[in-house]
Amino acid sequence: MGAGREFDHGMTDRGIALLLADAAEGVEIGAAPTQAVIRGGRRRRARRWAVAAATALVVVGSSGALAVTALPGGGGQRVAPATQVPASRTPGVAEPVARHLLAVGVDQGRTWQVDIDVWPAPRDATEARALLAAMAAYGEYPADADEPSALVGRSAYFVRHGIGEAEADGTLTTEATTTGADRMTGTDIETVAVPLDPTTQGPQRLVIGHVATTARQVTCTWKDGTTTEVPRATGSDVDSDDQVIRTVEGSPYAWFVCLAPQGTAFESARVTQ
Amino acid sequence: MGDRKQAGDEEFRAFVVGRWPRLMRTAFLLAGEQHAAEDLVQSTLERVYVAWRKVAAADDPEAYVRRVMINAHARRHRRRLREFLAPRDDSGIVREVADTGDRISQAEDRGVLLKALAQLPPRQRQAVVLRYWEDLTETQAAEAMGCSVGAVKSNAAKGIAKLRAIPELSGTVMVGGRK
Repeated sequence: MGAGREFDHGMTDRGIALLLADAAEGVEIGAAPTQAVIRGGRRRRARRWAVAAATALVVVGSSGALAVTALPGGGGQRVAPATQVPASRTPGVAEPVARHLLAVGVDQGRTWQVDIDVWPAPRDATEARALLAAMAAYGEYPADADEPSALVGRSAYFVRHGIGEAEADGTLTTEATTTGADRMTGTDIETVAVPLDPTTQGPQRLVIGHVATTARQVTCTWKDGTTTEVPRATGSDVDSDDQVIRTVEGSPYAWFVCLAPQGTAFESARVTQ
Repeated sequence: MGDRKQAGDEEFRAFVVGRWPRLMRTAFLLAGEQHAAEDLVQSTLERVYVAWRKVAAADDPEAYVRRVMINAHARRHRRRLREFLAPRDDSGIVREVADTGDRISQAEDRGVLLKALAQLPPRQRQAVVLRYWEDLTETQAAEAMGCSVGAVKSNAAKGIAKLRAIPELSGTVMVGGRK
């Protein structure tokens, strides 16, 4: 570090902004490769139409029956649907999503619910294409896998929550793709805090998070200083309505939900056991 | 038809030239490395080109571009997670070769920050970069990240807390001004 500096050990937000601005200066800004970008864009456009023209895909349901579905945006150019499962595919790999209930409760007379949809990891681009089409039929689009090849080997999850009449449909709260290598360990935790009613900008009372599968207790702390402890589900309460840490088949994480009392909101959450 | 396409390409070209430096800086903070930043910006702009007519007509084309870049970053990060999170020396992250005291110090500081950013989970890194470098509001950052405002707050707060916990970083900021 340079001489004569005066240090701000608290590191303010402005300090962070200054550090980022300084680090950003470290990149070399060459001439914009406009021609290469346009060429690349044209290639992508051509590829997109090629994919759209071959949208008829076979999805194998749990019954083994064949269903034909399609990616959106076909633009009227369709080819004859494939009618045979490729020999390399194990029947059932593109089974409909496994939907798990993460939590359910009643708040001011209205029932709320949090669900997670977990899709299996496809083994190749063909399976991935079928899965993306099946997801699209559920209105689910993995943001980080807009091309089939990006989904290969990755399981996708979509967490939804809803309240009242919209409970069944739910609103997408968070989604991502994972592999088995994405496991969390120790006290790792990731949370999302949102208003219980997704149609409002109310206080962030609903906390949805994931932790290591070994975590035994999560403690959510609310803005008013009170806390809520979420224990690990045991055999007797796996199917109960209690808010517990749940293992979700197909997900490398364990999941939990906690709801702040009326009048307060999310402050923090950590693994406490 | 051909004229319209050509005009669209010209407009897009001007957009790319105008936005390239800023996009490169944001991408550098997200990707942590020069070549990865160039790849990220280029693939982002290729996607923007595909939807250029829609983007050009939008009230806020920047918001669309940011959303595309964040999605592309998330996708790349997941592919290269192990590579970026693995302990490494500065050679892959910081390209400057410092030859004087100040330049060495500056490069070291940048290296510490880039390394610290690289160790944040991608959503936290995105939230920090969008809020504190791009200077977006929480709502704008939420739009770019495709998540709730609460998720932005949570990710930014966690990311900042982790950066603050790094002693080398908390010692590099001067009170009230540039380093």
